[in-house]
Amino acid sequence: MIVGPMLDEWYPVGIFGQLDEAGRKTMLMGEPIVVARNGNGDARVTDSTGRSLPVRVRYGHVWTSLGDPQKELFAIPEADQPGRRFVDVGVVRVRCSPLRAVENFLDIAHFPFVHTDILGAEPHTEVQAYKVEIREDVDEVWATQVQFYQPQAAKSASGGITTQYMYRVAGPTSTVLYKTCPPKPSEWDVITLFVQPLTEDLCDVWPWMALFDDDTPMTDLIHFQQTIFLQDRSILENQVPRLLPLDPGMEMPTRADLTSVAYRRWLKRHNFTYGAQLVAQ
Amino acid sequence: MMKLYDYILSPSCYKVRLMAALTGVKLDLRAVDFHPGLEHRGPELLALNPAGSIPILEDGDLLLTESSAMLVYLAAKAAPDWLAGSDAQEAARVQQWLSFSGRLTASLGGARLHEMLLRPGDIDALRASGIAALRELELGLVEQAERGQNFLAANRPTVADIACFPYVALAPDGGVPLDPYPAIRLWSRRLRSLPGFIEMPGIHRLHELKPEPQLETGEA
Amino acid sequence: MSLSHGFVRGETLSCIYHGWSYGQAGNCLRIPAHPGLTPPDAIRTVTHPVTEADGVVWVAVDEPTAAPPGLAGLVPLRSLTAFADIAAIEAAAGVKATADGLVNAGDIRLLLSSTRDGETLIHVLVSADAGPAARIAAARIAEGLRRKAEDIYKKGAAR
Ligand SMILES: N[C@H](CCC(=O)N[C@@H](CS)C(=O)NCC(=O)O)C(=O)O
Ligand SMILES: [Fe+2]
Repeated sequence: MIVGPMLDEWYPVGIFGQLDEAGRKTMLMGEPIVVARNGNGDARVTDSTGRSLPVRVRYGHVWTSLGDPQKELFAIPEADQPGRRFVDVGVVRVRCSPLRAVENFLDIAHFPFVHTDILGAEPHTEVQAYKVEIREDVDEVWATQVQFYQPQAAKSASGGITTQYMYRVAGPTSTVLYKTCPPKPSEWDVITLFVQPLTEDLCDVWPWMALFDDDTPMTDLIHFQQTIFLQDRSILENQVPRLLPLDPGMEMPTRADLTSVAYRRWLKRHNFTYGAQLVAQ
Repeated sequence: MMKLYDYILSPSCYKVRLMAALTGVKLDLRAVDFHPGLEHRGPELLALNPAGSIPILEDGDLLLTESSAMLVYLAAKAAPDWLAGSDAQEAARVQQWLSFSGRLTASLGGARLHEMLLRPGDIDALRASGIAALRELELGLVEQAERGQNFLAANRPTVADIACFPYVALAPDGGVPLDPYPAIRLWSRRLRSLPGFIEMPGIHRLHELKPEPQLETGEA
Repeated sequence: MSLSHGFVRGETLSCIYHGWSYGQAGNCLRIPAHPGLTPPDAIRTVTHPVTEADGVVWVAVDEPTAAPPGLAGLVPLRSLTAFADIAAIEAAAGVKATADGLVNAGDIRLLLSSTRDGETLIHVLVSADAGPAARIAAARIAEGLRRKAEDIYKKGAAR
């Protein structure tokens, strides 16, 4: 398997706070790696030959790359904002393409059917027009002015509201969403999906959040997000074809899918094809 | 109020939440950080249950650590219909499936923890014993249908059905498909259609139970 | 996403993922994300001819050239899946399928259809006049036959 340009990107490989010296044996794009904490308390990632890989510790997680990253790990300025609570949701393994895990995260039309009575409910199924662009300066996909009616938008929400969203693809398998923050309407809640590609059709998913919510116990915040993601997991494991098709023709996008269309186009432009299929089969 | 040490992704805890919902019992839920925090193996919970498992149910000075016992307790207090009646065969069948449910936890539950939350285990062996258990359950349901009975122990749902349903319904989470079991699928549908039924992540809403809701005029 | 995970309301089948619903002819009737839109005709799912005869549902991949075989005097009892191919099941039963596709395994008759490599769907039929006790016995006989077929298949595959 030739990984191509995705080799030089950053990937999450563990929760920093859970590392020990024995280390976590895992895999990155088919390569066995070990993620450990050394005697000084720093994170260290090594490949099967013992070579040390580049490391960043950011957003609660350890990040590494098998290649030679040309860009610094993407910024989430909200991660340094005082008053936010940071939630390590924990790893969940999914038998799906890492790219499909990201694409599903960018989709709102499934809320009423998959996250029934939480993130959506019939008859409020309509997806209003929103804006999508590839921001050339930062080389990221952005969707803005997204909105959707939600019966329970967050653990802190009481009753249904129309939630505003912004979506952002910051790396081939890293995505961030900004949504209405019920306790603090002037701010956005930040919810991310960091995906560790194990193989082309298997991934470890590390959701992480930076929220304004002083009241909800940490465990409840974790469980709210695990609930949502585990509802997605059974969908993701049943996607056909397993690899994400990058050529138009196989699947029939509608206006609601413009974020996904832009994401696929952006992947193709960069030759980010690990977990993708190019020719319709 | 009864207090349940609960984890939203635990099928064993879901048994107790589901039973309570079906019988109209209110529970005080105490969320346990099972993953990633492993709180069930911490001192506070080990003091309640040295086995280091959840659910744990507290009611006054009663402390239960086995979900089957919790189902029986809830039913005895709130809905005796869900227990075995006076018929000897029915009583035996309820016990048979309550005991059997432990095998589902060990096999299908183990496969699910391995595949989803990266727990160590021999996945092939877990799946093989899960499939063997599903085949037994399927045959049991085929035989019940021949006796004119729609549920595992009787022609009404009992604690036996609730003890078996969660790990079976969530078998696909551990990579064990349910397509080969038509009797299980019909039984699962019957349970999911009961008034008061609640889901857990991995078990989707049966949207067909309600006609398609329409927007009120003027509503966005 | 496979439509088999979906839901049926009235005469329409809907996908669990985004709720797109399809009519009998396979055409998409409704896309909930765009309630005002009439789905273009190009959005459709594959359909196959299907018919019910003698309590058995028959499906054909393409247009069938003949009606399903008659199953006079037999009724369906249960369906089960075996990790074995058709040859192993025939070997376990000790007979080959007839031209109609029926395997006569003594107390039970089998209709076999291969679902994928090494996996076969077995439909078990019994005599229409069998009572509940005989039918339960037949359901168990099918289990024994499956065990035998899977053994034969496993040994064959190991060789
Ligand atoms: N005592 C059993 C145990 C149920 C069980 O296995 N619970 C799992 C969670 S679903 C557990 O606590 N496992 C402990 C562990 O995996 O560390 C019951 O109540 O049915
Ligand atoms: Fe989702």
